Amino acid sequence: MAVFIQQVVNGLAQGGIYALIAIGWTTVFGIVGVMNWTHGEVYMLGAYIGYFLTSYAGLPMIPSLLLSMGGGALIAMLVDQIGYVPLRKRGTLAKSGFITALGLSTFLRYSANAAFTANPRAYPKLMNYQPIALFSIGGTQITINSLHLIILIGTVIIMIALQMFFTKTIIGKAMLAGSQDMNTLALMGADSERLIKVTFAISGALGAAAGFFMGMLYMIFPTMGALAGLKGWACAILGGIGSITGSLVGGVLIGIAETLTSGFISTGYKDAISFVIMILVLLIKPTGLMGYTFEEKV
Amino acid sequence: MTGTAAIAKKKADKPNTKLYLIALVVVLFVCFLDDFTPSGRVIPNYFKYIIVVSMIYAVASLGINFYSGYQGDTSLGHAVFFGMGAYTTAYLTTQFEGVSFWLSILVGMILSAIIALPVAWAGTRVKGSFMVVITYGYCEIFRYLATNSRSLGGTAGMAGIPTPRIFGVKLTKIPWLPSNKDAFILILFAIICFLAFFTYRVVHSRVGYALSAIREDEIAAYAMGINVKAYKRMAMVTSAVITSVAGSFYAGFANVADPSLFGATLSITIFTMLVIGGRRSITGAIFGAFFVIICPELLRYVQDLIGLPFDPWYILYGVILVIVMRYKPEGLLGKKDS
Repeated sequence: MAVFIQQVVNGLAQGGIYALIAIGWTTVFGIVGVMNWTHGEVYMLGAYIGYFLTSYAGLPMIPSLLLSMGGGALIAMLVDQIGYVPLRKRGTLAKSGFITALGLSTFLRYSANAAFTANPRAYPKLMNYQPIALFSIGGTQITINSLHLIILIGTVIIMIALQMFFTKTIIGKAMLAGSQDMNTLALMGADSERLIKVTFAISGALGAAAGFFMGMLYMIFPTMGALAGLKGWACAILGGIGSITGSLVGGVLIGIAETLTSGFISTGYKDAISFVIMILVLLIKPTGLMGYTFEEKV
Repeated sequence: MTGTAAIAKKKADKPNTKLYLIALVVVLFVCFLDDFTPSGRVIPNYFKYIIVVSMIYAVASLGINFYSGYQGDTSLGHAVFFGMGAYTTAYLTTQFEGVSFWLSILVGMILSAIIALPVAWAGTRVKGSFMVVITYGYCEIFRYLATNSRSLGGTAGMAGIPTPRIFGVKLTKIPWLPSNKDAFILILFAIICFLAFFTYRVVHSRVGYALSAIREDEIAAYAMGINVKAYKRMAMVTSAVITSVAGSFYAGFANVADPSLFGATLSITIFTMLVIGGRRSITGAIFGAFFVIICPELLRYVQDLIGLPFDPWYILYGVILVIVMRYKPEGLLGKKDS
């Protein structure tokens, strides 16, 4: 039992990171209606920006996190400008948006591979790691790594800020409205192009933050975006597309499911479990745990 | 689609018999040229190797054309059928004495049809972007299964797959053929021609019209009395069976099968071959496969020439996809949508 609880605690930080990726996916999916396959690459580039800031510029954690979030936002906006804006002007985004995204993602991933080489890199030590005792079960102490705790706190702070943005500011409210019906929103006088820019910026910032946190935990490498991007998508589907709390819950559940799988079944199936969960959710309850009910069939 | 429009479309894309005759001449020329040159090899064996690989992928690309082309949903999971064919051939021919390669193709086709059923069933329940992630996840799950099962060779995969024999003679050692790749070229050419003919006949039949009606407007097709679910499942299973043949040939030709044959990277390659060549175009699907296989080989030559430290192909590949989607979204040889 104690081992089980410990594994659950170990999965929390990882789950928070997945949740950040998930929200980046779904905000763009809700508003632009395209599966932004480059999101995993923005996440990877965010991790690399963080790496260069912390190791070469020697910046401490918080400033480099904020800067790499800014960098991620810029990259995502650039992706939109280069990839999707011309397609939106021609009105072919729905048909060819996904394959453009696939192409841009291939381009970014292998350019990074050429520029940074395929060797994995590790962040410098940004803080002291130590296990923090939480509580004890049957005489066994359950501990959480201080690094995991910081990441979890960072994730929650970002989520709360995002929730505030969506419910308190006018742009955030417009984005929520846009995810329901973009055309009507444009008829109401909202500048949809600017709204889409903001959406991409937020998505990129969240992706880069996730990449930065991931870099604090594990090694980073140019192809890390492929798997992580899909896992983010799995979390979004599990939690329910379009719901921030749902993404957080989905992310944490998948993070825990991964540590439990590697702890109790086999490390080899650690990465497969999120796909199994995703497919099952899509087939059994397509709206996820906390999603809105769409009128059309997903 | 109304009747007249269908007839007009039928007239518009007659089978390009001339093109296939030219292709036949080229294939025969490539295979037998070395018989008539006194000084031996004129066409390097490596060149023939690339042709065989392109042809194998052309079969896969014609396979995915049924689903992602004619039925219209994106699949990033067709590698699972490719891998199924390859692993079936690998397992049967290495583990059991005397099982012939040709029998293993048949078994692979049946197994691929079986593993296609869950995805085909899913395809009738979800669509669009969600089908993309389902197929992607599905093939990745199989990759993990292959990586983690010891009887299938784990990460290293299965090596030492015997070269296929025809009437007891190895395909690489047929006496009247000048090089060891020619038999593969001839057999694959016959398969591709058969598939092109088959695709053409299916597309210009009730089934094909039903599929295009579903692609254009699913609800309207349903209202017209087309059994949408049955046709969707059929498209998926057909494309799975064809893709599996390509996988079996890959295993028989390369003599190895490893878990990456199940992976999403290969799926994306197969899918983008079709997209670059042209969805719903038979010549486009074949051309796409040759394009995607031959270009990196040419680039490798350029890379050696100017001494680049990295492989520029994938970077260029991404750019090609973006450009094709922007300026010719129907693919290089594809037909414009009506």
